[in-house]
Amino acid sequence: MSDTEAPFRISISDNELESLKQKLALTRFPDELEDAGRDYGAPLADIQRLTNYWKDTYLSKWKEHEAKLNEDLPQFTRDIEVDGFGTLNIHYVHKKSTVVDAVPLLFVHGWPGSFLEARKILPLLVENSPEHPSFHVVAVSLPGYGFSEAPKKKGFGSTQYAEVGHKLMLALGYNEYVTQGGDWGALITRRIAQLYGPKHSKAWHTNMPLGEAPHPTRRPWLLLTYLLFKLSPKEKAGLERTQWFQEKGIGYFKEQSTQPQTLGYSLADSPVGLLGWIYEKLVNWTDEYPWTDDEVLTWISIYWFSRAGPAASVRIYYEVNNLTPEGFARNIETPIPVGHSYFPKELAILPRSWIKAANPTLVFESEHEGGGHFAAYERPEALVGDLRKMFGKGGPAFGVVPGKTGF
Amino acid sequence: MSQALSSEKPFQISISSFDLTLLRQKLELVRLAHEVDNAGWDYGVPLSEIKRLTAYWKDTFLPKWHEHEAKLNEDLGPQFTRDIEVDGGFGKINVHYVHRKSAVVDAVPLLFVHGWPGSVLEVKKILPLLVEESPDYPSFHVVAISLPGYGFSEAPQRKGFEAVQLAEVCNKLMLSLGYTEYVTQGGDVGSLVTRKIAQIYGPKHSKAWHTNSPIGEPPHPIKRPLLLLSHLLFSYSPSEKAGLERTMQFQKQGSGYFAQQSTQPQTLGYSLDDSPVGLLAWIYEKLVNWSDGYSWTDDEVLTWISVYWFSKSGPAASTRIYYELAQAYPEGIFSGVQTPIPVGHSYFPQDIFVVPRRWIRAANPTLVFESDHESGGHFAAHERPEELVSDLRKMFGKGGPCYGVVPGKTGYVVDVIKFGGRD
Repeated sequence: MSDTEAPFRISISDNELESLKQKLALTRFPDELEDAGRDYGAPLADIQRLTNYWKDTYLSKWKEHEAKLNEDLPQFTRDIEVDGFGTLNIHYVHKKSTVVDAVPLLFVHGWPGSFLEARKILPLLVENSPEHPSFHVVAVSLPGYGFSEAPKKKGFGSTQYAEVGHKLMLALGYNEYVTQGGDWGALITRRIAQLYGPKHSKAWHTNMPLGEAPHPTRRPWLLLTYLLFKLSPKEKAGLERTQWFQEKGIGYFKEQSTQPQTLGYSLADSPVGLLGWIYEKLVNWTDEYPWTDDEVLTWISIYWFSRAGPAASVRIYYEVNNLTPEGFARNIETPIPVGHSYFPKELAILPRSWIKAANPTLVFESEHEGGGHFAAYERPEALVGDLRKMFGKGGPAFGVVPGKTGF
Repeated sequence: MSQALSSEKPFQISISSFDLTLLRQKLELVRLAHEVDNAGWDYGVPLSEIKRLTAYWKDTFLPKWHEHEAKLNEDLGPQFTRDIEVDGGFGKINVHYVHRKSAVVDAVPLLFVHGWPGSVLEVKKILPLLVEESPDYPSFHVVAISLPGYGFSEAPQRKGFEAVQLAEVCNKLMLSLGYTEYVTQGGDVGSLVTRKIAQIYGPKHSKAWHTNSPIGEPPHPIKRPLLLLSHLLFSYSPSEKAGLERTMQFQKQGSGYFAQQSTQPQTLGYSLDDSPVGLLAWIYEKLVNWSDGYSWTDDEVLTWISVYWFSKSGPAASTRIYYELAQAYPEGIFSGVQTPIPVGHSYFPQDIFVVPRRWIRAANPTLVFESDHESGGHFAAHERPEELVSDLRKMFGKGGPCYGVVPGKTGYVVDVIKFGGRD
């Protein structure tokens, strides 16, 4: 395979910026019920404030934000051949540690995330220290996200996403590597572990640990509430969170896994529509993370200006739902060591016994007092702390990549 | 409410040039989504459809809006608005409605209630048929309401405005128009609302109700044991099996909108209010998937969408009822179907919820009329106007199970000779 790698800098054209500005100027807002709070969805006051800020301030400073992004995240693109799907041009962040034998680590984002989620953990992971291991970090933009091309054909599922991540690592000379992933990244790195471990993928870490429900009933969580009196306060809170997500937080999932194109027209055409759709998750899925307007708009901009457009990003729900209708929570086992970080505001907080039963190769666990779904962004030190413990000297996955101990 | 105190005002749809300009500007800036190869309808509305409709909207339909608007006003006939006070702190809601009286003085007063993504537009085709005078079938005085949050009615401002409140608005509207006793016809959300009207205001005011969205609950070992027994002993007909399959397909593939609108309608609302093409796709998908091969013209589709785009409270407001219903009825809207008044059903095979007849009958003990159709889908009044009206004529006509259900308003010209009248 010839090397098609090219350095990449985010460089949004003036045309695109102007078009966005024009659309923002034409925004038509809905009304809102009195005292709606967050009950009905993203609050109008937040969305109006963000929209006006976007139009009046953020956009005019876009070049600064863009420059900072490019500075923080060294990026590249290269072609990756995917069996049955042809060549896709893939965008990724790649930063090597000064430690020559750093551990090669592939970081995989999810939805509505992006390569941006590696921003804070990147400097910590590559950092040189005798106290903890260092990593060479690759943060891929999944096909259909960020500045990667989207697949053109139907049926691009977790196997294909895994293939892209794996082939990227090989192309970069990392024949053996470890992975970290949450959300779709958890599913994809699990798949990488199953398909390419232990030969290439040597260990994987996730901040979205899963297990299987003992009996699939119509209301499994309702069944569980009867067990409440046996559970610790933490486990009770976890179940309540899980129940909330299943009952109130799953609309996007149902739409995206059945009619992604229908939804896609809104996301591609309406900046405020896209903002509302994603911002709701940024707030509901995090542990009261104090988002600044700049942070939110940078996050949304990556979707708005993405190479394939925002509609492409939601197709993964349709494809995976079609290919694996039994859902995420099956076929969890992998042949390689796995590590878990447990954050209390994750979306599915299952009893530890279920998680352990589904993960026989579980070698590392770390429990946190705060933090939610976007662990790398909300709690970068905590997440990196966990990776350092898992892969560091005395850790259960120390030296799992031969010759690349991180020291 | 006496005429003197009534807040009724005549109404004509008249979209401002500001609104028309804004729409045109947005259509000029449309950014379309890409699509995978050979997607067909699998992933949602095909790009080719959206491209065509969007271009037509911008280049042809919108520039001719005044013609479409005039036609709409002509088709709907006399429209009005009036204030309705709603109990429970909701205050006054200004409600829009169509009101067309038959020439037959003693026509049956009928309230037609639309659903989502429908509107008062759905009464357009059945209106002339319902008011038509004939010795062979009954006539109706027709009131077609724009539910609060839809069309040119105001939307509620406070939380908790659910089926009970919608029923209250409808009943008060009929009373204010002098129809102390009336019958109703409704599909989709309209079916729920007219069911509620039947339960709360029947038999005193609502005398009978007809729906083209009949429902019933599945067999259950404890709640519906006899139905379970029948389910185990007797098989379902081929059409019932097909209906069940269609229903399950809908649940599996077609209920994403329902999940979103029942849980986070405001989040969705930002898209629907801001993006004409987003709104178009969101609704057009239903117009196609829920109807039975109906040949929608681009003008029909865009007129339908326009009622949403130009609605008084905006499209987002229309989706909130799903949230309110989910809150008010955690056990679901498919239970508690029973009413104290006669009900009639029209069964259209390509509707989205088509369950075995015995389930429906078990849930509707006051079922007095049933009519099966070979074709037709969810939007019966729009797709199959003659059939729907024919059903109503059979149900309420001479010899029908609901003939004379509204005392003194049988739907026919009174035969003076029979009374041995003078001259």
